[in-house]
Amino acid sequence: MKVVEINDVHKIYHDTEVEVRAINGVTLSFEKGEFTVIVGPSGSGKTTLLNLIGGLDQPTNGEILVAGHRLSELRPSELIDFRMEHVGFVFQSYNLIPVLTASENVGFIMSLQKWPKEKRIARTNELLGSVGLSDRGNSRPSQLSGGQQQRVAVARALATRPEFILADEPTANLDSKSAEALLDIMEKLNRDEEMTFIFSTHDAKVMKRARRIITLEDGKVVSDETRTEN
Amino acid sequence: MITEIAWKNIWRNKSRSLIVITAVTIGVFAGIFSMAAINSSVQQRLDAAVHEELSHIQVNNKDFRSSGDIQDTIQGADSLMTLIEKTKGVKAATGRIILMGIASTSAKSEGVEIIGVDPVKEQQIFTLPEKLVPGTGSYFKSETKYNMAYMGETLARDLNIIRFILTGDALAKLRNEKVPELVITRLQSLKDQRFISEKAFAKAFEVLLSPSQNKKYGLKIKEAAWSFREGSKVILSFLDVNNVQTSAVFRITGIFRTNNDMFESVSLFVPGEELRRLTGLREGTYHRIIVELNSDDLTGEVTSKLRESMPGLEVLSWKEIQPDLALMADFMEQIYGIFMAIILAALAFGIVNTMLMAVLERTREIGMLAAIGMNRRKIFTMIMLESVFLSLVGGVSGMAVSLAAIAATAKHGINLVKYSEGMEAFGYSAHLYPSVDIKFFLITAVLIVITGIISSVYPARKALKLNPVEAIRGE
Repeated sequence: MKVVEINDVHKIYHDTEVEVRAINGVTLSFEKGEFTVIVGPSGSGKTTLLNLIGGLDQPTNGEILVAGHRLSELRPSELIDFRMEHVGFVFQSYNLIPVLTASENVGFIMSLQKWPKEKRIARTNELLGSVGLSDRGNSRPSQLSGGQQQRVAVARALATRPEFILADEPTANLDSKSAEALLDIMEKLNRDEEMTFIFSTHDAKVMKRARRIITLEDGKVVSDETRTEN
Repeated sequence: MITEIAWKNIWRNKSRSLIVITAVTIGVFAGIFSMAAINSSVQQRLDAAVHEELSHIQVNNKDFRSSGDIQDTIQGADSLMTLIEKTKGVKAATGRIILMGIASTSAKSEGVEIIGVDPVKEQQIFTLPEKLVPGTGSYFKSETKYNMAYMGETLARDLNIIRFILTGDALAKLRNEKVPELVITRLQSLKDQRFISEKAFAKAFEVLLSPSQNKKYGLKIKEAAWSFREGSKVILSFLDVNNVQTSAVFRITGIFRTNNDMFESVSLFVPGEELRRLTGLREGTYHRIIVELNSDDLTGEVTSKLRESMPGLEVLSWKEIQPDLALMADFMEQIYGIFMAIILAALAFGIVNTMLMAVLERTREIGMLAAIGMNRRKIFTMIMLESVFLSLVGGVSGMAVSLAAIAATAKHGINLVKYSEGMEAFGYSAHLYPSVDIKFFLITAVLIVITGIISSVYPARKALKLNPVEAIRGE
């Protein structure tokens, strides 16, 4: 089942007098349960592509369909609701809400969606258990290591069972051990919950685990390689 | 959750938030406490006006106020008073004979309003009898065959009835009031000298003392030397019913002291029956009926009722007689609202600045919130709540400090004796007992919330303009 369909998408930025073609005619699709990595040199358009898929930005041309939604037809307020309901984000710098505990951070999007308290608590505990942080629910982000914070961010992204998770350089700020632990968790969630993960990364550890690797250069897909085994 | 985040956010930078909270606390305290002091001053003035000078309602012969003619009396005043006293809301009513005349002593003469009263009935209505200066006699209780007069301290001074004598008792009193022996020794040279005016006495002792001693003990020295001999004579001259000039000797039965120099300087009270005998006014005739109500709030209602039932007479409420006071009383809330709004408007700039810093520091975080699905309304609400919480914490603490300060000063009051001369010239007490109505706190709370909301608009708009993509790119 296709989760994301991208058809001949272009994204052009006008930087003063220079025209920058960040994405230049990309056509791709992502199936449910994929564990995909987008690689490429800096400036190749990885992050722009993730932003377009996540509804954070709109393409200049082409269309993106996510879970039946044609993103170019959504108004800004509808895009916010779309992101809340269909996309999970994991950022390079964790971006947790510093004044909330790990549990509260995980439950944040559920509370935005007005989940009943009991259901929210149960889901939060389940997710904290999945990422191995059952005992750190009451800790503030500042009391957690980088790896632990990123695991909380993953739990938050998964909370409302989105269609897919977009992870932009999720291991960039982690040491090898933490990065491997995080990838173990993501792989497990991908396997157990059939959650679709789309990464952008330079990290070989992530690439090693990917089942599909898409390479971008100058805003174009130069290779799209699917592996049968890792 | 949004409320919780907003509350926690204001404590992220404690010192910055505490500075704003302290500023709001001081501003709110300054506003409430100064208004409490002003309010108490106005209330005291109102109480004095109604209960010492005017009464709630006055009923006059239609022409009397403009003519002042002895002949312009109220016909059938006795039966009218009975009727008035039966009106719902009326506590008591009494008649007054009012004459324009001259009060003279051997030293001076002053124009006065001679008011003939029923001493027993007046005591039910006015608190003026309670304003008797201790040691100066009584309110028409002296057993004497002479005509009696009850007058204000200012008039007594003007007529040189008050003397200033530093007797042995006066010096002993100063010693009891902890005036240093050095000062008392210097004052010994004035012992038993009689001064007929306060000015002359002040001039005499001020040269003996240093400026700081004068400043510190001047009032106490004047108070101690203040002297009056009960039964001092005053000659009152006025026209009788035949427009014949009549004069009679009255003995001062007591001297009263209010906060209104103007009232004190022109009002002189005598028993109505004595005045009736001297003027030839018929039994049961009065120029004015004064009416005391059970409550100040009934003034408008009872005035209208009496006006309807007595169409041939002039019925006036105290608000109509002294519209300046009524205006002050009616507009206290509005004045307070404007006063507080100005203070809070100034504080709003501080809150805007703090909130703007808080928003700009959290650019990435706010962008992230927008990225993961927090809509514009919720982001706006979060920033607005932070601003409202900042204002409210300061506001509540300002109100608490104000309450404590009001409670602390309510018993002994604030003594502005240095400014008493000026204040009492306008009828205001120099001793303030700060008090505020609960309404003032409600107005303050509403204004604080409004300030918080208004202060949040600019920072919140800044937050809403943030692009989540740029926030992520900022990494």
